[in-house]
Amino acid sequence: MKRVREQREDLVSRVPGLQVACATLLVVIATAYWRVQVVQGDYYRELAENNRLRRVPIQAPRGLIYDRHGRHLVDNVPSYNLLLDRSVSADLPRALRFAAATLNRDGGDFEAALTKNAGSSRFKPVLLAENLSLAEVAKLGVAKLEFPEFQTQIEHLRLYRQGEITAHVLGYLGEATETDLRRPGFSYRPGDLVGRKGIERVFDRRLRGQDGERELVVDSFGRTRDEHGREAAKPGLRLDLTLDLELQQEAARYLEDRVGSAVALDPRTGEVLVLVSAPSYNPNLFTRRLDNEQWQALLEAPHHPLQNRAIQNAHAPGSVFKVLMGVAGLSEGTVDSGDSVFCAGQTTIYNRRTRCWLRSGHGWVNLRTAIKRSCDIYFYQLGQRLGINRIAHYARMFGLGSPTGFDIPGEKAGLIPDTKWSITHRKSPWYPGETVSVAVGQGPILVTPMQTARMVAAIANGGRLVTPYVAAGSPARVVDIDVDPNVLAEVQDAMWAVVNEERGTGGAARMANVEVAGKTGTAQVIEQKTWIRSKDLPFEQRDNAWFVSFAPMVDPELVIVVFVEHGGHGSDAAAPLVKRVYESYFNEPDAG
Amino acid sequence: MRATSTSLTLAEDRPLLRQLADVRWTLLATAMLLAVVGLATVHSASSELASDYFPRQAVWVGLGLIAFAAMLGIDYQTLSKFSVPIYVAGVLALTAVLFLGAVRGGARSWFGFGSFGLQPSEFAKLSTTLLLARYLAGTNRRYLQLGQIALASGIVLLPMSLVVLERDLGSALMFLPVLAGMLFVAGVRWQLLVAALLLGLLLGALVWNFALLDYQKERVLTFLDPERDPLGAGYQLRQSKIAVGSGQIAGRGYMQGTQSQLRFLPARHTDFIFAVLAEEWGFLGVVGVLLLYAMYILNGAQVAIRARDRTSVFLVVGLLAAFGFHVLYNTAMVVGLLPITGIPLPFLSYGGSFTLASFISVGLILGVDLRRYVNR
Repeated sequence: MKRVREQREDLVSRVPGLQVACATLLVVIATAYWRVQVVQGDYYRELAENNRLRRVPIQAPRGLIYDRHGRHLVDNVPSYNLLLDRSVSADLPRALRFAAATLNRDGGDFEAALTKNAGSSRFKPVLLAENLSLAEVAKLGVAKLEFPEFQTQIEHLRLYRQGEITAHVLGYLGEATETDLRRPGFSYRPGDLVGRKGIERVFDRRLRGQDGERELVVDSFGRTRDEHGREAAKPGLRLDLTLDLELQQEAARYLEDRVGSAVALDPRTGEVLVLVSAPSYNPNLFTRRLDNEQWQALLEAPHHPLQNRAIQNAHAPGSVFKVLMGVAGLSEGTVDSGDSVFCAGQTTIYNRRTRCWLRSGHGWVNLRTAIKRSCDIYFYQLGQRLGINRIAHYARMFGLGSPTGFDIPGEKAGLIPDTKWSITHRKSPWYPGETVSVAVGQGPILVTPMQTARMVAAIANGGRLVTPYVAAGSPARVVDIDVDPNVLAEVQDAMWAVVNEERGTGGAARMANVEVAGKTGTAQVIEQKTWIRSKDLPFEQRDNAWFVSFAPMVDPELVIVVFVEHGGHGSDAAAPLVKRVYESYFNEPDAG
Repeated sequence: MRATSTSLTLAEDRPLLRQLADVRWTLLATAMLLAVVGLATVHSASSELASDYFPRQAVWVGLGLIAFAAMLGIDYQTLSKFSVPIYVAGVLALTAVLFLGAVRGGARSWFGFGSFGLQPSEFAKLSTTLLLARYLAGTNRRYLQLGQIALASGIVLLPMSLVVLERDLGSALMFLPVLAGMLFVAGVRWQLLVAALLLGLLLGALVWNFALLDYQKERVLTFLDPERDPLGAGYQLRQSKIAVGSGQIAGRGYMQGTQSQLRFLPARHTDFIFAVLAEEWGFLGVVGVLLLYAMYILNGAQVAIRARDRTSVFLVVGLLAAFGFHVLYNTAMVVGLLPITGIPLPFLSYGGSFTLASFISVGLILGVDLRRYVNR
């Protein structure tokens, strides 16, 4: 049987329309894929890489710091932190109760940490607690199956073995600030611990080394699947200091209950063997992120323990300045070593009655005796004859009134006045009466203990102005001062007399087997109208005590300068420290 | 069967083998190629999962080939005769699944048999196409009348609304291109098309803006798509675009796509399998697969064009419309051109019922081609 085909052309005629529509849409879609895959392909490839790669820094071990005899001053100690991975927590409150009980800590702190991180990704672990003991780490490890959300993380922290004793030399670390992050030449990341103060700051680049990095392949849950790459950390380099730990400890022990500073340096090179500032602080406090309360307490503590008094506090040098006056007077020919002045305990200069500290007077004194017994009257007259500008010239020649170039930054310049300074800074002329004050180290003259030590070193070594430094191997920078060695020899001899002769003011520093030379200084804090013994004054009004020294007399190896704020007389308050440090130095078998 | 046409095409009786040889096997070949690509991609996409979906999908492809052979053997005219009971069975299955079905992915559209499940909506789509083809074949006018359009729409809307009640919005949407494609071929005055479109938009906008309160809108949206979550959908789309884009021209290599292997891309072995393919095979792979789909659709359309009668033209057009829309919507959704909804990609996505239905569809189309001669 033959059938006739149904009428279907009307339908079939519409099919190509559908075909075209379909093909057109496929082309449109293919174009969209072209756009995403080819045009924007690089962009999406980068997003995919960011999805899968996590860069995890490897902490470079920070370089260790040693004293001049190779003794450890600082360690890197492992510290355990507790992290919480919220993404795998089944019962968070229970886990937190467990952690609080195990670590015996306040659960409120954990809550606070969680609140602080409420906005961050669930996959980013939250730091719950620091400084876990090994026993606590073990307890958490045992409970790992029950509480997989807890992770312990090891972090290397700086431990300053000597704590407060070396605080002002070594400094401490702190979290990088905005300024640090922008510091040119340093590639700090937010959260990095960087040197904040002292040696840690100056040599930060050398000490920190270079953190390595692990490139981990992670899945969408943040779980590590594979290690894609690793760049090893470059450990920081070790740093040797010129510091002598034993001497440092000796000086620190003496200043423990006092306010002041001590500096010891090698007059041949400028190597600093002792730098103590008291009161001090415990730099190990800064190892962890310091909370505001602790920081405030440090800032508001009496006598500003954070200050490095050896370089940051400038004071009137008092009678210590007399040795420089001697150098100036002899060099200028203003006085001769034989010239004598009669001290009656007081005199009248520029119509003002002026006193020597010894009311009974010293009688006839030449320069040697004037230095030895610290006669004021002699130097009043010498000052008058030299004039302020010549005094200032010699003071500056010996490095006073400007930073010494010491490698720990933050030095104060101090002040050496002259007539020009008076006009430009005070807008008033210099009064000759002031010169008389400056001649005995009072009035508008300010020097730091470090500057003073440098000056004494230049007198002791025959006129070579060294640049103090504490990092071993620093290039020695020495300036030769244009001064007659014979002049210096006379002043050295006078300083020897201060310590070793009867009626010298520095007898407290006298040693049996080593010839010590020195000079005491007692700088008034307030103008005294009446003679009151310093001990009987309130602490803040007591005199500041200085003692500067070098030893041995022949080829000096060590200069020691001590400054005790409100310590009273230099001979009582400061000289004993000097003696102890010399004893320690010269009794060391490998002295020098 | 009416025979009003005067144009006659005669065919001689030919042996079965020669008839079989004359069928558009390209259609099956493209389907098989796509299924192979699909199996490989399912393996890559699920190798990181607890269980590899490759063996299960292979079983479904095997079952699909058997279903294909069965459909090739059954005369579509016989099926057409029974289209009403088949349709009713489909509707009953959809109703039953509403009460007895298992909930998967928020939709109650599954009959579970152990680890295998069946989605009656996939088969209801076929049965609806069959009945609609039969009905439209009988409307022998140049253009459809309003009443006829209403009835045709009713045939589609009944099962479709049941699927909507199952909360399987993606599957429900797929009924619309079937209706639209077949109505277009049946002939609808363009004025009517425009009017319907405008009326629909106007009514929808009026109801949405004035009749519904905000929380009701939210309820409607949540009801239609329980997994509606702007953040979730945003994540899915972003990861999908990263996967597609990072494939660049040549792809990252088979099993080397980081987005899929490291599980950044959700639904990667089902609705988003094309993103995996795009990541691992790049733009070249995308174009290759799109070309295969184009070949399938164009070859299928050739079957429609040379089909014997009106029923078979409608049937093939309806099946191709569903297929084409799946392909277009899914690939457009993966690259971010259309909102995300649960629409799988034929032959590539993992899914038993859908794979089975796709092979049945190939069988039906080639069955039509086999019987295209008026006389046998």
